[in-house]
Amino acid sequence: MSAFDASEFLAGYLVEVEEHLSASTTNLLAVETSLHKGQNNPRAVRELFRSLHTIKGLSAMVGVESVVDIAHAMETVLRHADRAAGALSAEAVEALLAGLRAIDERVRALSAESPVAPAPAQLLDALAALEMTNEPAPTAVELDLDPALLAKLSAAEKAQMIQGAEAGRRVLRVDFVPSPARAADGINITSVRENIQTFAEIVKVLPLSVPKTEEAPGGLAFALLVLTDASDEKVAEAAATTPENVQALLTRHEGRAEAPGEAPFVEEDGVEADARKRGIVRVDVARLDDALERLSALVITRFRLMRAVDALAAQGVNVSELGEIVKGYGRQVRDLRGAIMRARMVPVAELLERVPLLVRGLSRGTKKPVRVEIDAGKAELDKAVAERIFPAIVHLIRNAVDHAIESPSERRHLGKNEEGVVRVTCFERSTNQLELGISDDGRGIDRASVAQRASRPLPESDAELLELITQPGLSTLDRATKTSGRGLGMDIVKRAVVELGGELSLRTTPGVGTTFTLFIPLTITIVDAFSFLCGEQTFVAPVAAIEEIVEVAPGELVRGPSRQTRFGEVRFMERRGEIVPLVNLASYFSLSAREAPKALLVRRNGLPLAFGIQRMVGQQEVVIRPLEDPLVKVKGVSGSTDLGDGRPTLVLDLLALCAALSQSRMEAAV
Amino acid sequence: MTEILVVDDSKVMREMIVACLRVVDDSTFTHAASGLEAIEKLALKPFDLVVLDLNMPDIGGFEVIEFIRGQDKLQRLPILVVTTRGDEGSRSRALSTGASQFMTKPFAPDAILANVRSLLRQDAAGGAP
Repeated sequence: MSAFDASEFLAGYLVEVEEHLSASTTNLLAVETSLHKGQNNPRAVRELFRSLHTIKGLSAMVGVESVVDIAHAMETVLRHADRAAGALSAEAVEALLAGLRAIDERVRALSAESPVAPAPAQLLDALAALEMTNEPAPTAVELDLDPALLAKLSAAEKAQMIQGAEAGRRVLRVDFVPSPARAADGINITSVRENIQTFAEIVKVLPLSVPKTEEAPGGLAFALLVLTDASDEKVAEAAATTPENVQALLTRHEGRAEAPGEAPFVEEDGVEADARKRGIVRVDVARLDDALERLSALVITRFRLMRAVDALAAQGVNVSELGEIVKGYGRQVRDLRGAIMRARMVPVAELLERVPLLVRGLSRGTKKPVRVEIDAGKAELDKAVAERIFPAIVHLIRNAVDHAIESPSERRHLGKNEEGVVRVTCFERSTNQLELGISDDGRGIDRASVAQRASRPLPESDAELLELITQPGLSTLDRATKTSGRGLGMDIVKRAVVELGGELSLRTTPGVGTTFTLFIPLTITIVDAFSFLCGEQTFVAPVAAIEEIVEVAPGELVRGPSRQTRFGEVRFMERRGEIVPLVNLASYFSLSAREAPKALLVRRNGLPLAFGIQRMVGQQEVVIRPLEDPLVKVKGVSGSTDLGDGRPTLVLDLLALCAALSQSRMEAAV
Repeated sequence: MTEILVVDDSKVMREMIVACLRVVDDSTFTHAASGLEAIEKLALKPFDLVVLDLNMPDIGGFEVIEFIRGQDKLQRLPILVVTTRGDEGSRSRALSTGASQFMTKPFAPDAILANVRSLLRQDAAGGAP
């Protein structure tokens, strides 16, 4: 006999249904927007139908009959609409919205373990009473497709392609041929579809039997029918094929729209129209990257201009007006850069939208009541940064619910509220840095147990503890849990943060709770940097990383305990009542380490460190280019930049150098 | 070894199906979250049985069945359709297109297990060529 307990799947059920409900709301609103313009939205209707159908099936499995009834009634309306190429009346949209609300109420009740109300009879009647039409919209263009394939398309799908064409998009067919070799490289129909979806709307994918060849060992090809503005090359590349295999599918009726005098019939797709109404345009991030890349060239031109002006000034030429122009040009470039960077920004609140769902699922899975509090304010983050950092956030939240928050009985025993709290806060710390905090009110991290597991001495501070728990492979878990797997992964969190040029910090108090703070750069490409000389070479370092530039008075320096580090000798200086270790930056790069009359003061995990340098050169915006060659990857060097002299200048990551130094000190201490 | 392909766009539904069928002797399960993914997997690797949903994002279960039955080497592959579309029309269409068995969601764990076992037995009895 098989063991099967539907309640085991409740958490998963809640997560999936919530996803479908949220997608359905978006789609239904898109239908409504199209309706206001007298248009159908076949794609949104089809998506809605599918979501409702899935909700119905899942609800039937876990035994939520009232949701099954509501979803079934809605599904019937949508099936008719799909057959009628997406036609829905305003009345139907209204009734469907009420249906989504009714399902949402019941799912919430289920999640709160409250009784679930039966399906409202009035709603079911209203849905049943809707008049169904089956009239597809008349079309003005024809699809040029193999009749055998054409026969496999529904009225709604044909309408979708024709509407797309009328809105000025290209209707294309591209074939993808799967093979075991491609599958091994991660290229399969799912990855191809996801790839194409980033720049095109896929109307339909049709499987085709083809003769078995070396190229097509499975005897299978997929014909993808898409709507897009992208080039044949781009479409072909995404489908792992060549542009000759991309085929246009459209023939227009004569005398229509092609004539230049006649205003073309341009209409937008529903979802985009909705966005347009609010003045929003969706842009492929690649285009913004392209714009930034071009801007980098402008920044470099500006440096060259400045040098040319300086050279003129050195010859005694009066450059005051030219200087003003160059300065103005600099401001304009800076503004332009700001504008492009802003276009790449997404609200952090949007990024964190899924967190409550995640916590709810985890809370059910672990049977610990957990409340989530999110305060993201108005902070925004570069989309690329957001995508890279989100998995780390998810990981920290999982850890908090799974491990940090105690069981309800344990909490009661400790005199805590049974309900645990996970808090996610976010604010812009400076114009270029975001501070993201993830805290819990759980048991705190047990230093002794971490130390024992790592076979290391007891960490003396939270910073040392963080170093330990972010070591690859360390786990403080005795056994794997369902949601956190093997409890590994703090090293992954750390790597995600560090790769972005950010920093991770930890504060934990036994019995009270733990806070991880992620300091993340808002954007990653261009930074304000100091340039300076060190061992007769020019380096740059981001302004944001440097707390202060200080004068070093040799007479006041104190020698430290004689320890050799990669930076040579460590000395100490006093700065505002604080003792600051001072190392000569030139030593690290094996440059001639002459006197270092200035120092860059950097603070990592609250501890100061000063890097001795020869002299400051200036402050400017620099474009950081990653070092491409892995062989020249040097710890503490985050990339290179061009200061306008055509030569690469190394961009230093002083925080990473701090880390390298403390490690080297630890080694020296062992 | 019994290789079973479970095709459903809902992850939790696939997990439920696998939970019901885990006890089939020496069975291994492959998931496919869409009709296209299912077809791709079927073209590249042999399976002993397919559990198939009808309602999926890209192409529906009917098209998957049509494709399977259009392939010489997959003529005999047992297909168990498990769907929320319990209407007679879907049932007869699925069976006439080439499904081996048709059952509706919600299903009882014992029922799906019995269906799968009987399909595997028939397949074995039908004999290898």
